[in-house]
Amino acid sequence: MRKYLSIFKISFQQEFVYRLNFIMWRIRNVIQILLIFFLWDSVFSEPGKVLFGYDRARIITYVFGLIFIRSVVLSIRSIDVAGEISRGEFANYLIKPVSYFKYWFTRDLSSKALNILFAIFEFSLLFIILQPSFFMQTNLIYVIFFLLSLVIAILIYFLLVLLFSSFPFWYPEQAWGSIFLLFIFTEFLGGGMFPLDILPKNIQNILSFTPFPHLLFSPIQIYLGKLELGGSLKALSLSMIWVIILAFFVNKLWERGLKNYKSEGK
Amino acid sequence: MDKAIIVDHLIKNFEITEKKPGIIGSLTNIISPTKKIVRALKNISFVLEEGELVGFIGPNGAGKTTTLKILSGLLYPTAGFVEVISYNPWERNPEFLKQISLVMGQKNQLWWDLPAIETFELNKAIYEIPKREFKESLDELVSLLGVSKLLNIPVRRLSLGQRMRMELIAALIHKPKVLFLDEPTIGLDLIAQEKVRDFIYQYNQKNKATILLTSHNMDDLVDLARRVIVIDEGKIVFDGLFQELITRFAKEKIIKIHLGGEVDIKKLESIGEVKKIKIPEVTIAVPREACAVAASELLQNFPIDDLTIEEKPIEDIVRQVFRGGITRKAAR
Repeated sequence: MRKYLSIFKISFQQEFVYRLNFIMWRIRNVIQILLIFFLWDSVFSEPGKVLFGYDRARIITYVFGLIFIRSVVLSIRSIDVAGEISRGEFANYLIKPVSYFKYWFTRDLSSKALNILFAIFEFSLLFIILQPSFFMQTNLIYVIFFLLSLVIAILIYFLLVLLFSSFPFWYPEQAWGSIFLLFIFTEFLGGGMFPLDILPKNIQNILSFTPFPHLLFSPIQIYLGKLELGGSLKALSLSMIWVIILAFFVNKLWERGLKNYKSEGK
Repeated sequence: MDKAIIVDHLIKNFEITEKKPGIIGSLTNIISPTKKIVRALKNISFVLEEGELVGFIGPNGAGKTTTLKILSGLLYPTAGFVEVISYNPWERNPEFLKQISLVMGQKNQLWWDLPAIETFELNKAIYEIPKREFKESLDELVSLLGVSKLLNIPVRRLSLGQRMRMELIAALIHKPKVLFLDEPTIGLDLIAQEKVRDFIYQYNQKNKATILLTSHNMDDLVDLARRVIVIDEGKIVFDGLFQELITRFAKEKIIKIHLGGEVDIKKLESIGEVKKIKIPEVTIAVPREACAVAASELLQNFPIDDLTIEEKPIEDIVRQVFRGGITRKAAR
């Protein structure tokens, strides 16, 4: 355990080296949120308007919830995995008594910790400036479910990143393409741009067979209480099943990838 | 003594896709990639005893690094048996990994943006080194390599030589029993090279560590390796004492003469290949078996004050080995 605490510490320091990068990344997040905020704010400008089952407070909460949930779920360091494999730096960890998955998960956690700190700050700032009407969930069960769904979302995203990072085992020159694909999927199919339930029913049905809605959309839905108790439990168990399926495939894929690994580069 | 490394009938094949040049080549490559099997290691076998320091040499692309990578568990062997300190490297048992280290001159494990000490601290945690032990070996390594003032400087600001020494510390802080060194002195200046070399020697002596070292640096081998394994095109062409390598592959001896009077150089050429003339000194290379005859012929027919017979310089032989080809001919 102390092993991973040290990894957490050094990774945290490393994030600070790229202060400027980090701040820019946060600014990008804020601007993105502002954009979505003003869009929905104007759509719901009429008092009492309800669209797609959202009133003003809930849609604004959705947007604000995104600030926080994005920091928790989507901020990662393991984006470097594919590059490390294709450049051969990956070998450094293979020859050490350390689990590569745990190593990157720890680094992700340290990145998340830093991002959450900033998200809280931004959240408060935007809250003071925009004074939005915010939906407070008072039912403790939903809050607990919400936190649980975040933990599962973190796992799903981590596994997805590993899955999409394994191509360089076979094609070392193709490190990035697949990861970008994952980012696009996450934004659009995960609910990072708009709540997924405004989409046509049949598209929603198709999406429900993918792991993506569990990344951003489901946690907010659970928080908002839109899924009720049964729906929340269903979402949680579905996402758990995704964790198991993905973990299985990632393991198999990496086992085969390692055998094929040529340890090229530099 | 125990065997530290056993390699038996090891084979490693790589499948690679070939790309023809140009855009057309790229396109046809997408539709029907031409696969090719590269046979990197063709059935090699050798054994290292505990505490041995062995030079592993051969021309570029001979299979040296591939072998080291298999021995440290990075690559999966196609066939054959490999055992390092009684472990199968591929299983990557944590107990095994704690006792080995692989240093590649062209690869770095140091965290680029942070001072080297941070990487060392991280390794301390990863290798679960007790605090006291860590401090002791760090102090020792730092003073041996002379880098005490550089510990707190971000790695990116260190020179190549300084960085390489830090890499060595990072690789050795857990006191590995088996050490794979791949070109540890590449790109270093002469003084840094010597420091690293001295250090490797001392590490081997002090810790009874088994070291397999590849290098294209003649001095590394001359200073460090008593035994060498020569590999070429995936096959081992020589395995034995360095001294034996010299006699095996030195097909010529060198005769140096000190002339006592005027001599027609043309005539000297009938005896052997004249390598160097700096009157009154002349150096002639003659075939090993004809050496005695050549020497007596010289003494009889030329005004000679002094004559010495020497082995060919080690450098020439090792250079032949690095160039490849020649070893194959000679070994036949």
